[in-house]
Amino acid sequence: MEIVKNAIAGTLESSDVLVKVSPSQDGTVTLHIQSEVIKQFGKQIRATVMQTLEALSVSAATIVVSDKGALDCVIRARVQAAVLRAADAQDLDWNVL
Amino acid sequence: MTDAPPGIDLNADIKLDFHTVSLTESPEVEAEIRSLLHDNGLDLDEQVETFVVCREKGRIVGCAGLDRDVVKDVAVAPSLRGTAVSLRLGSVVLKLAAARGHHDLFLYCRPDTVQWFRGWAFYPLVEVPGVITLMENNPLNLPRYVETLSRERRPGTTIGGIVMNANPFTLGHRFVAESAAKVCDWLHVFVVKEEAAEFSYSDRFRLVTEGLADIANVTVHHGSRYIISRATFPGYFLKDKAAVEHGFCGIDLLMFREHIAPALGINRRYVGNEPLDATTSSYNAAMKHWLSEAPSASAPIETIVIERLTVDGAPVSASNVRALLARGDLGGVEKLVPPTTFAFLRQYQQAGR
Amino acid sequence: MKLRRSMLFVPGDAAGMVSTSFVFKPDTIMFDLEDAVSPREKDSARLLVYQALRHPAYRDIETAVRINELDTEYGPKDLEMAVRGGADLIRLPKTETAADIELLDRHITRIEQACGRPIGQTRVIAAIESASGVVNAVSITRASPRMIAVALAGFDYLVDMQSERSGGSEPELFYARAAVLHAARAAGIGAYDVAYGDVNDIGGFLREVMIAKNLGFNGKSLIHPRQIQPLHKAYAPTRQELAYARRVIEAAEKAKREGLGVTSLDGKMIDPPVIAHAELVIRRAEAA
Repeated sequence: MEIVKNAIAGTLESSDVLVKVSPSQDGTVTLHIQSEVIKQFGKQIRATVMQTLEALSVSAATIVVSDKGALDCVIRARVQAAVLRAADAQDLDWNVL
Repeated sequence: MTDAPPGIDLNADIKLDFHTVSLTESPEVEAEIRSLLHDNGLDLDEQVETFVVCREKGRIVGCAGLDRDVVKDVAVAPSLRGTAVSLRLGSVVLKLAAARGHHDLFLYCRPDTVQWFRGWAFYPLVEVPGVITLMENNPLNLPRYVETLSRERRPGTTIGGIVMNANPFTLGHRFVAESAAKVCDWLHVFVVKEEAAEFSYSDRFRLVTEGLADIANVTVHHGSRYIISRATFPGYFLKDKAAVEHGFCGIDLLMFREHIAPALGINRRYVGNEPLDATTSSYNAAMKHWLSEAPSASAPIETIVIERLTVDGAPVSASNVRALLARGDLGGVEKLVPPTTFAFLRQYQQAGR
Repeated sequence: MKLRRSMLFVPGDAAGMVSTSFVFKPDTIMFDLEDAVSPREKDSARLLVYQALRHPAYRDIETAVRINELDTEYGPKDLEMAVRGGADLIRLPKTETAADIELLDRHITRIEQACGRPIGQTRVIAAIESASGVVNAVSITRASPRMIAVALAGFDYLVDMQSERSGGSEPELFYARAAVLHAARAAGIGAYDVAYGDVNDIGGFLREVMIAKNLGFNGKSLIHPRQIQPLHKAYAPTRQELAYARRVIEAAEKAKREGLGVTSLDGKMIDPPVIAHAELVIRRAEAA
């Protein structure tokens, strides 16, 4: 999936995550994570985001994630939503979610 | 079992309404917003047109102003501070801005509220201690900008920098740049990217490039969001004009000192002296303070003021050129601008704008 | 029949609530993609609900999804997601005619086939929110074998009727409640009463619950977790009712063991409906 524009998904509220997606500047995935629990869960959050991107075949994007203690499934959903918006995708392949 | 797990507030009032108001369409809301801002020690910034407003039983309990890509005038009623209301307000503002095509946002706040806005996923960029902090909601942008700039580094021990609006590019601008380039190993010229000027940014940029084309050791850089302009700076925190200037200058100049200059190795900033415009002349005075005297983790930068070029006994100024142009005095204009600018202005005038 | 006393509405876009609502243990969790979610966020909410449906925490609790109407751009996508995600129930808003249900049924079958889910596994709740819906309730409740309940949605219905809530015994809802209930019983399915909007007024909530319970409603749509326990308690049998129910079951089992057809207790016939009611009472008691 190709990222063609800026998009956000999620909220700033507790147990949620705000995901900002924009086109890549250098053809790779750049991921920045902000979280109060970055020490304990930073790696886990990163892994979840990267897995989600991979499943959606996103190889180039800039992602900024602001985490407020969200579960993995919430992170997955918000990343998917932001990516689909940023790719202007209309149809969904349910197998990759 | 009614014990709530962490994160769920069973007593959370779900009767809050969030909506967007345009002050020009709904002027009656302005008084309410002013009142809430006043309770938070703020004045209404006259430039802000759009507000996200949060109402509880009809009363405004939260507001956040949006001026293009800058968030300003954020206030929450004391009773609701620290609750999830502020975060919902932030989410609504972000979504409104995104719907308008602005994804990377600036935010100005008092330094003692920076923690609050970190919760809005903003990151501090530059701070005038005790006065004002500039934040952005994307931590990657400034480092990226700096990295892109640093690819334009040139070797040398004396590296100069000039920031000009050039509305339009005159012999005066040329003189300052020429004088600086003579004594520097390299000179970096930035053109302010603001469409508030009479001439469009792309025209101004082109005229600067053409006007300096023959000088070998000059790079003309596009302006950026990080060359702070008065158009985006809020005038509301600080009650008197002098304090506003203090804050604006501080943010703009510290940004230059702490981020832009180090990227290119700039250690001198050149500026033409300003006998005619009081605001700009006080800015030049502030420059010395913020670029070299004020405490900062970044190395000081020397400010060098160049005496204005005079033609027929008067200092050359862009505002004068615009005035002459408006009067149709092309002969007068021609004396004050280089040929490249004159060719453009003559066409501009003939096209009737 | 599964106990369906409490159906807790959870806004589909609220990450915190979607993540944790299962702890409140309502009989059914209903993820709302319709009125609770703004048009701009419907795509995001849909993805969040999909994740929740597939999450282990929701495996042991009955899940429902209120999709948008099928003639909107959102409805068909919501349905696709909900069936594929394994939702137990689909709640169809603003059901006006049996044809609405029949159409929904066909779509669900198509999706079940496409994703390999057992045909017929996804059930349906029809929400009746208008005068037409009330008038057509009898055919709506019989429109599909997937139907397990009908829900009356008070606010929209009253707007349609050009009426409004008056508090107290609320005669303005009487006919709708009665009609919906009769239609449900005639079709052998459940009936949910209207949601109660003032979450701070538990007293008023309980008064309404008792009215509905006495009429025969199986449960109620809830908009806040704090309404769950009071509702369950209200539906819990009294000690006498429970004791009696236990005696009924005992008597019925004894009759069965001794090869008798129908027996009696305290002079009253213990026939199948009485036994079924006793079983319901015991189940409600156990779940309170």
